[in-house]
Amino acid sequence: MAAIKAGRVLSLCRQFQKGLSISTVLPLQQTKVLTSCKAQLSAFRPKFCLLHINNMGTSLAQQCRALHTSQWRRGLEAFFDETPNWGEPTVKSGAPWTAKQLRTKSSEDLHKLWYVLLKEKNMLLTVEQEAKRQRVQMPSPERLRKIERSMKRLDTIVQERENALRLLQTGQERARPGTWRKDFFGRTFWYRFKEYPIPWYLNRRYKRKRFFTLKYVDSFIRRRIESHLHSKILKKKADLENKRKLQEKFSKLSATT
Amino acid sequence: MRLTALLAMATRVKVHPDYRYGTSRPWTVGAQRMNPPGKKRRKVFVEPIQPEDWSLFKGDTVEVLAGKDSGKQGKISQVIRARNWVILEGLNTHYRYIGKSGEYRGTYIASESPLLVREVALVDPSDRKPTQVEWRFTEEGERVRVSLRSGRILPKPMVQRRDGIVPEQWKDGPKDTSPDDALEKTYSASLKTFEEEIAEATGVVETRAGRRTFWY
Repeated sequence: MAAIKAGRVLSLCRQFQKGLSISTVLPLQQTKVLTSCKAQLSAFRPKFCLLHINNMGTSLAQQCRALHTSQWRRGLEAFFDETPNWGEPTVKSGAPWTAKQLRTKSSEDLHKLWYVLLKEKNMLLTVEQEAKRQRVQMPSPERLRKIERSMKRLDTIVQERENALRLLQTGQERARPGTWRKDFFGRTFWYRFKEYPIPWYLNRRYKRKRFFTLKYVDSFIRRRIESHLHSKILKKKADLENKRKLQEKFSKLSATT
Repeated sequence: MRLTALLAMATRVKVHPDYRYGTSRPWTVGAQRMNPPGKKRRKVFVEPIQPEDWSLFKGDTVEVLAGKDSGKQGKISQVIRARNWVILEGLNTHYRYIGKSGEYRGTYIASESPLLVREVALVDPSDRKPTQVEWRFTEEGERVRVSLRSGRILPKPMVQRRDGIVPEQWKDGPKDTSPDDALEKTYSASLKTFEEEIAEATGVVETRAGRRTFWY
């Protein structure tokens, strides 16, 4: 969000710069004919620039005021706990948000809650860092764990809703496309697609990736399969041996008792 | 060094399948000294008890059936499921020195030894004798432990929470959400994605069309 606004500001600045360049070009062209207006021009150009700078200044401030929330005027107080809690060895905190409670909330509520939790997390991380610096125990570190759990659950709920909608509308099980591919060593793996601005046949680094296996790797693949089957058999044997030993030890025990 | 040791205690420890569980928890320094990475010990066979058949909980009163303190009753202070162990308060103790440094021999304390679950039995509160216990369902559908001799229900012991909070006496702080607000339902199912709903709520109108991208 902030990045988009910053981008808009930059584009506006660029427009102003263009305006500036255009305005400077015209008087120059004019003075090519009228050489006596040189003094006027030198006086004219700075004034024009100043006007533009002033305009840019006011518009930037207006843009920035729209960007920040009400907190920016108070400063960095949001990074610190409430003053009564300073120096306390323990701070009381309630239970974290459960997934069941979060499922009943609308998207707007979840969005607001996320940022509330984020600000609280930043505050707690500041406290943790300060405690490390002072080489003392952080008061009530479980607060940080509760916040992290709540945020994780919130993310899970949002993903759930997204998954449900996508399944309903498109039938796609995965949010990110992918496919099964074989790598150069003959191993089959799930390759997850990436987003690129150019097609694959123009992407030199992508073309250097090898999603095929050559003939000389076949013997190694065969050996890998053999070792996999052997380890499966060994595991099965070990499980049976384990079961037999347990039977021997504990059925004897239950027989005696 | 001590601070890092403290921090190491807080992180979650991954144990290998042949890990030998002891009386110290796996994330403690003592357990890490007993089980350094790469150490292989003879396998200990633990009787397989299904999780639903487990009937001993922390805070239960049990009687010791075998060992040094057989016949005595005590309260369970710790349960270690991985080895089918229970540790009772003050029973089955041996004596050792703790905090030895240099020439100082340390403090002489009594430390409890763990007992297997087969060596203890739950005590029936009606006659205070050891009994065998079974899991059964009540009329309401609640799963409870029932003594086989007298048929009395053994309720699960009330253990205080580790953070010392009593839910009935809790008062909300300034940053806590009230129960009504937390349980309030604001969700209405719609065919809009999360991003679309937020954009609608905040009044963000995206007029730019993204450039063509390729997925591969």
